[in-house]
Amino acid sequence: MDSDIIIKLNKVNFYYGQSRALTDITMNFRKNKVSALIGPSGCGKSTLLRLLNRMNDLIDGTRIEGEIFFEEKNIYAKDVDPVEIRRKVGMVFQKPNPFPKTIYNNIAYGPKLTSMNTDDLDTLVEQSLKQAVLWDEVKDILNKSAMNLSGGQQQRLCIARALAMKPDILLMDEPTSALDPISTAKIEELIEELKKNYTIIIVTHNMQQAARISDETAFFYLGNMVEYNKTEKIFTNPDVKHTEEYITGRFG
Amino acid sequence: MEERKHTSSHYEMELQEIKNGLIYIGVLTETAIQMAMKSLTERDSDLAHKVIKDDDEIDTLDTDLEERCIKILALRQPTAIDLRFITTAIKITGHLERIGDMAANIAEKAIQLNEEPKLKPYIDLPRMAELVGEMIKKSLDSFIGNDLNMAEEVRRMEQVTDDLNEQIFRELLTFMMEDSKTIHRSLMIMQVSKNLERIADHAKGIADMVTYMVTGESVRHQSCVSDEKEPA
Ligand SMILES: Nc1ncnc2c1ncn2[C@@H]1O[C@H](COP(=O)(O)OP(=O)(O)OP(=O)(O)O)[C@@H](O)[C@H]1O
Ligand SMILES: [Mg+2]
Repeated sequence: MDSDIIIKLNKVNFYYGQSRALTDITMNFRKNKVSALIGPSGCGKSTLLRLLNRMNDLIDGTRIEGEIFFEEKNIYAKDVDPVEIRRKVGMVFQKPNPFPKTIYNNIAYGPKLTSMNTDDLDTLVEQSLKQAVLWDEVKDILNKSAMNLSGGQQQRLCIARALAMKPDILLMDEPTSALDPISTAKIEELIEELKKNYTIIIVTHNMQQAARISDETAFFYLGNMVEYNKTEKIFTNPDVKHTEEYITGRFG
Repeated sequence: MEERKHTSSHYEMELQEIKNGLIYIGVLTETAIQMAMKSLTERDSDLAHKVIKDDDEIDTLDTDLEERCIKILALRQPTAIDLRFITTAIKITGHLERIGDMAANIAEKAIQLNEEPKLKPYIDLPRMAELVGEMIKKSLDSFIGNDLNMAEEVRRMEQVTDDLNEQIFRELLTFMMEDSKTIHRSLMIMQVSKNLERIADHAKGIADMVTYMVTGESVRHQSCVSDEKEPA
């Protein structure tokens, strides 16, 4: 496997019961890049994202065919512990979902639960909050409830919480769709900063957001991957007509 | 290829209006060239003054069309073919505006030439003017029809105008050498020819932008294709 490829999907089909949500997906995600998944509602973006950290395992009646390699390892092999995968592949959701705990404990909770080395929890909390560019705003209120933070702050807290687990990959499912433009800009700025150390895969309905922050963009339609290309290429001159119709607003 | 329409009919209409606007400016510039040439060949200085005055309208329309394009960029944030369409439209209106200026330049020279006796019958200049008029029309047709072949044809025609311009220069040079009294008029006619040749350059510029718009690849500043095909 190419050294700059971190995740590789090989002929992946995915089913919810009888209905197939993803068809024959073969694609590579590159290390330390931001990859965006775009496409109309129901095309399978979130499903694909959840496949990458085995979150779909938690849904009854689902079935996967094909292989997904994380670095060299097939993450659906029998001997793989899904919990370990979820630690390495963190996830941030559309709606900020902090735990009803203090800011400090939101960050410390995960590392304490797992067998991570938590000798210096204070340092880990500070580091994670700094990485998520939230430290300055919360350093004096670490023992206040996370529920009192603004939506944008809560989302950065959720990113900090994911980072505290020291993942390699960060999955984000429409992370800014519930945020105002300023909070959105802060998250976008953060993503560009984080890609130095992490691989980021983001689902977004905001074309401009995909164009602004991603290096590569994949367009999905009805469970198929229609085009996967450099973001610049997708937004100036995509190879596939259907991609062009979608991103220029010719549909329906 | 048949383009599907945008889901937003307002957006669709805004883009259509940009197209229509360019065609309209194109027609005005073609007319300006024709009238400027007529003012020269028929020694009609009143007509020449009208061409110079009418150029203001082309300038205003150019500014207005450019502003509408910028507004679409800001408000619609076009991508892919729409982005290439808008950037192409901005370039095309710029080319047309310059073409209008050159028609006005020709009209100015006509006014001066009409003050003096005719140097010789105008033969090559009207031919050249007809050719560049055709080029403008074809370059805009290629834009409307996404027609790469027609854009290529405009590039070929541009070489013919280069040749014609050179031929006119040589002929006028012999006039000037034979009779120094013809120098002023000869220089003036040379400038008319030069203006027509530059109009052809602008038409080629439009054709190049059309090729970029359709293919996404720039052909500007490349040596001519037919040159490269010459056997070594
Ligand atoms: N838990 C589930 N059980 C059954 N079917 C599901 C489940 N989750 C998603 N699906 C179906 O799988 C398909 C893909 O859904 P998915 O949520 O991945 O789409 P999406 O691209 O993320 O859409 P959106 O942009 O609306 O979030 C849809 O047809 C959806 O109805
Ligand atoms: Mg989704």
